[in-house]
Amino acid sequence: MKLWIKLSLATILVLLFTTGLSGVVTIWHTARYHEQKTLEQYEQLLHSTALALGMELEHSGMRSYSAVTKNAYLNYLMQKYGPEQFILLCDQQIVCNLTPFDLHPAPDDRWNSPEAKSVIQKSGEQYILITGQAVPDRHMGNYTLVLVQDISDQYADIRQQALLTGGLCLGGALLAVFLLFVLTRKILAPLQSLRQAAEHIRQGKLHERVHVHTGDEVGIVANAFNAMAEQIEAQLTALSQLSEQRRQMLGSLAHELKTPMTSIIGYTDTLLHVNVKEEQQKRALTHIYQESRRLERLSSKLMRLIGMYDNESISFVLTDMSALFAHIKELEQLPLAQKQLTLHTSCHMEPMLLDPDLFESLLINLIDNSAKASCPGSRIELIGEQNRIWVKDSGHGIPHKELGRVTEAFYMADKARSRKEGGCGLGLSLCTEIARLHGARLVIESTEGVGTRVSVLFSDSSEGSVT
Amino acid sequence: MKILVIEDDSPISELICMNLEAAGYCPVPVDDGLKAQKLLQNGQADDAALALVDIMLPGKDGFALMEDLQKVRIPVIYLTAKADVLSKVHGLKSGAEDYIVKPFEILELLVRMEKVLERTGRGRTRIQIRDVTIDLKKHRVTRDGREISLKPMEYGLLVTLAVSRNVAFSREELLNRVWGTDYMGETRTVDVHIGQLRRKLDFHKVIRTIPKTGYRLEDTD
Repeated sequence: MKLWIKLSLATILVLLFTTGLSGVVTIWHTARYHEQKTLEQYEQLLHSTALALGMELEHSGMRSYSAVTKNAYLNYLMQKYGPEQFILLCDQQIVCNLTPFDLHPAPDDRWNSPEAKSVIQKSGEQYILITGQAVPDRHMGNYTLVLVQDISDQYADIRQQALLTGGLCLGGALLAVFLLFVLTRKILAPLQSLRQAAEHIRQGKLHERVHVHTGDEVGIVANAFNAMAEQIEAQLTALSQLSEQRRQMLGSLAHELKTPMTSIIGYTDTLLHVNVKEEQQKRALTHIYQESRRLERLSSKLMRLIGMYDNESISFVLTDMSALFAHIKELEQLPLAQKQLTLHTSCHMEPMLLDPDLFESLLINLIDNSAKASCPGSRIELIGEQNRIWVKDSGHGIPHKELGRVTEAFYMADKARSRKEGGCGLGLSLCTEIARLHGARLVIESTEGVGTRVSVLFSDSSEGSVT
Repeated sequence: MKILVIEDDSPISELICMNLEAAGYCPVPVDDGLKAQKLLQNGQADDAALALVDIMLPGKDGFALMEDLQKVRIPVIYLTAKADVLSKVHGLKSGAEDYIVKPFEILELLVRMEKVLERTGRGRTRIQIRDVTIDLKKHRVTRDGREISLKPMEYGLLVTLAVSRNVAFSREELLNRVWGTDYMGETRTVDVHIGQLRRKLDFHKVIRTIPKTGYRLEDTD
């Protein structure tokens, strides 16, 4: 069942119940009131008639009358006061009854008090009011006056009123039903557009948004829905970018594997099938060896890059940065000296929480990159200050349009030279990854022909003096 | 016969050159797209019969070099790691004669080169091996000026081995190339014909049996 129908039906039920109940109560009260009033009115009439009758009886000389005369006289009196209404009793015996009714059950002593006593009897379709009281005379005997009145009309009135009220209730309810249906539909209409938007998103149209600007709960849901869609779209975009990056990386990897493979397969093929001179055979073997080593280097770097995606193998230790710098200087001294390069280090840093092995390899990678770009005789700086460590060289720099891509896996700005130096285009990807694991980021500034500065920037939260 | 080898990866370049030399060609290695362009524009490579071109080159890529190569009417074989169909179609549509994906087999490279050379009318007309001359136009084989009479299959076998000299063929490959793929004969047939050739041309030492592989016509001069 749809929500708007549910809401409408629930409201209608409540409405019908309350109006019906109040209608019934009202009608019942009105009926009671009318009944009471009628009773009082007739009791009043009975009372005054009884008083008058008592007076008349007292002043008549009825005691001296014969029974027949007495009867005639009483008949006359009843005729006078209201032959259609009154019945006169004496000692619970009907003395005079000119009304079209008979008393049933037979009269007893219930009307003997001077107070009026009333009862409403239903006879067929008629409602009969019977009220009686003792006639207040002192000497004439035990007379009782009973009033009998058909009050069916009153009940018909009440019934009519009840019908009218019921009809009004029903009519009002029907109108309310109609209005409710229309209103709930209108109020819940935004839900429909919400549903449509959800459907669109399900079909992959992630840019779809709900255009509901009401301040009510539906509006709130719509806003939450939009926020959710936004988030999903952003995440999906990020995911597809990531998978695109991975795809490109795999493509590059395949290509990087193919080049040494081509050499290895080609040279072995040559050695197996082609009659080449002995010195050429040696060349071929050398190439096979070198290209295999290149493959091996590539695979170990790759393993590191992949291994770093699961963070378990990393252990953070509070490290004295000056000692780390000194260690790096010691490691790099010989290879740099061979290229006639000097390394200048300077460290003004608090001890930091980091993985010394990984961080060392990050810095050595950066220094090696600088060394590859530098001309003999120049100097490389490794400086640490506060939350920033940088490696600076005055080598040939990175072309401006390549800056954004140098951290991509397998990207080589100068392929031919990079290969000659034994690079495989993974160094900066590795560095970025290591920096990321330390909550830091890599910032590369470079001017072609002037030099390059690669900085490792730690965010403030992971800055030194960790407690 | 001069062959341009435009390839930036030096081990691969050397590999190709080594084999081309062994097969009797004269390879000219170029390791950069711009250098290749300069060479072509200066007319220094006009006498090249064929160019083996890598696609991903520094300076200028292989596709971009096509125009310069076509100007001097050098047929092109692309030799590249790009194995996707799109690159192949692009390469062949741009006017390349063939497209070989790395890694390749030496024999395949040589055979495809030979086919391209034949198709473009640059095939060798005469092959000299020691004192034996093969006239490919007249289908005649002479030794010291004396004509040697060879049966058609013996002649085919000799040409196949001589064109890709110094490269070993398996018996199956020789059967396929000389007798055709439909031929249901045994590999023994090859041995018999090789024996005939050796006897008729006195090639007992020239046509060598390579253990576990097949035969190779050796001539390193």
